[in-house]
Amino acid sequence: MKKTIPLIIVIAGGIVWLLWVFIPHRVMADDFYYKFYMPWARAMAPFAIILGVFSLSMMHTAKIRRRAPKWQYSYFFFAGFIATSLAGFIGGTQKGGLYMWMFENMAMPMSATMFSLLAFYMASAAYKAFRARSAEATVLLLAAIVVMLAQVPIGVKISKYLPNISQWILDVPNLAAKRGIMLGVGLGSVATTLKIMLGIERSYLGGD
Amino acid sequence: MNIFERIQQLDRRWIYIVVALAIALPLAFPFNSDNITSPPTENLYQFIDSFAGRPDRAILLSFYHDASTMPELFPMEVAILRHCFERNIKVFTLTWLPSAGPIIDYAINTVKEDYPNIKSGVDYCNFGYIPASLAMPTVLGMGDNIAASVKTDAEGRKLENLEIMKGITNYSEMNLVIEFSGSSAGGMWLFYARPKFGLNIAVGVTAVMAADEYPYLQTGQFIGMLAGLKGAAEYEKLTDVFGAYREPGTPLDLGVDEDGNKIPHGRSFSSDILRDESIQKYLNITPQHIAKFKPKEYQQFVDKHPEKKAIFDSLKEEKDGMIEIDVTKVTEAQKDELGYVAFNDLNRLTYNIPYKFKVARIGMNAQSVAHIMIIVFIVLGNIGYFIQKARQAKQQ
Repeated sequence: MKKTIPLIIVIAGGIVWLLWVFIPHRVMADDFYYKFYMPWARAMAPFAIILGVFSLSMMHTAKIRRRAPKWQYSYFFFAGFIATSLAGFIGGTQKGGLYMWMFENMAMPMSATMFSLLAFYMASAAYKAFRARSAEATVLLLAAIVVMLAQVPIGVKISKYLPNISQWILDVPNLAAKRGIMLGVGLGSVATTLKIMLGIERSYLGGD
Repeated sequence: MNIFERIQQLDRRWIYIVVALAIALPLAFPFNSDNITSPPTENLYQFIDSFAGRPDRAILLSFYHDASTMPELFPMEVAILRHCFERNIKVFTLTWLPSAGPIIDYAINTVKEDYPNIKSGVDYCNFGYIPASLAMPTVLGMGDNIAASVKTDAEGRKLENLEIMKGITNYSEMNLVIEFSGSSAGGMWLFYARPKFGLNIAVGVTAVMAADEYPYLQTGQFIGMLAGLKGAAEYEKLTDVFGAYREPGTPLDLGVDEDGNKIPHGRSFSSDILRDESIQKYLNITPQHIAKFKPKEYQQFVDKHPEKKAIFDSLKEEKDGMIEIDVTKVTEAQKDELGYVAFNDLNRLTYNIPYKFKVARIGMNAQSVAHIMIIVFIVLGNIGYFIQKARQAKQQ
């Protein structure tokens, strides 16, 4: 019973949504979608946030209690979470309030700094690891140089043909490879979905 | 240890210093450079521009990223908002991420400072944060009725009561969605809204994600794309050349015709104008503070402000047959005498672009230097590698 009921819910849900997509009848469009599904979906969304907050708080509380490695940083989570929540709830989230100030002067520069570290790692990797060790690596290296040059204004000054060559690399070899990967992923998704809807794939229910 | 072995074992901290300088110096000392516009950017610009001044058309901007990717994506958002505000195009905004809520406010406020007549609920409307669990029902629901699906905007006002909703019901009117994302963008719209409702989609993505989006561009499922900082710089350029263009003497503010409809200023996209060298004066990203006129142009200019002629005459200098006015030499008292319209009319002729509207182009200078630097690193690293390899082979 513990597995049968969830299985029935999944199969029934899958079939209903398939019908909704392919049958544009008002029973599906209005009665099912707007009158039944939408209110439920709206009601469920806040519970997901509450669940997330509880889960995160419990994890950090346990970390502090057990003195797990780097447990001190969990206090920063609570400090940040409480300060941001209070700033938003009390002062509002519009321009001129503490919440927006914290976003503009703390969240934005800190996040951008973390992301910008990529540039340093990329430059270091380009110097230390990007070697023309084989024919394939040489092709990759040349393509990278052409595309990198064509991306910037100085590349066009070097040669007016660079943007066209770069665009060809992106439009033909890149596109062919990407499309092959995407078709594979797409077919795999359809197969897995069908297996779940038909009850063949049951690993998501736990156990074997 | 010979020089080639040294090159191979160069401490990475030296590389980090070079990277830091290569990026910081061009940002600190901007220079003029031209970003050639690419078809995906031009197509998006033209599509948005086709909505100019139409009360029955709108675009939706989906901010699907957090602050970490703002350096690349934020200039795109600012450039598109500016284009819409310049050309009187209705804009809606939303996000599925709680951390992107403030980014929407920040982007709108950044652009709105220069457009005092633009009003929330009339010219633009922010739907705000909609939980990701409601993304699919919202995307599908807007295909039938936007006001029934979203219900209220970020300020809690009922959508059906807002002026912006006049003439806007569903995707037939809000006919274009642009999603900005640091990962895969546009998926939700592409899978659900386009097949069912024929919604037009475009994306703004970070440069590393751009290659993933080409299959959708080639099939026409995406009508355009802004790829990284380059895409943002191209859009900034198009907005300067076309959207923000004003014939000298035309009002700065959004005008209204006899029927009360807003008149979109600027001019329509044209490849010929883009190729014309005369547009260069609209593209300088270095600070500009001198308005230059031919004598005939100066006379036409002062004829539009006859009561201010004496002040303009006192400010003008003649150089090489041209008449120049340095706006930095205009005193506060003279500014007051000229008034807002006359001074801004003069200031506009310096073609000085505010920093926030040229951020991506200044960033592209840094990217130019950084790309060249990385290519030099790759070449140097490979030279050292092959020489070392040849020596080792010789020794054996």
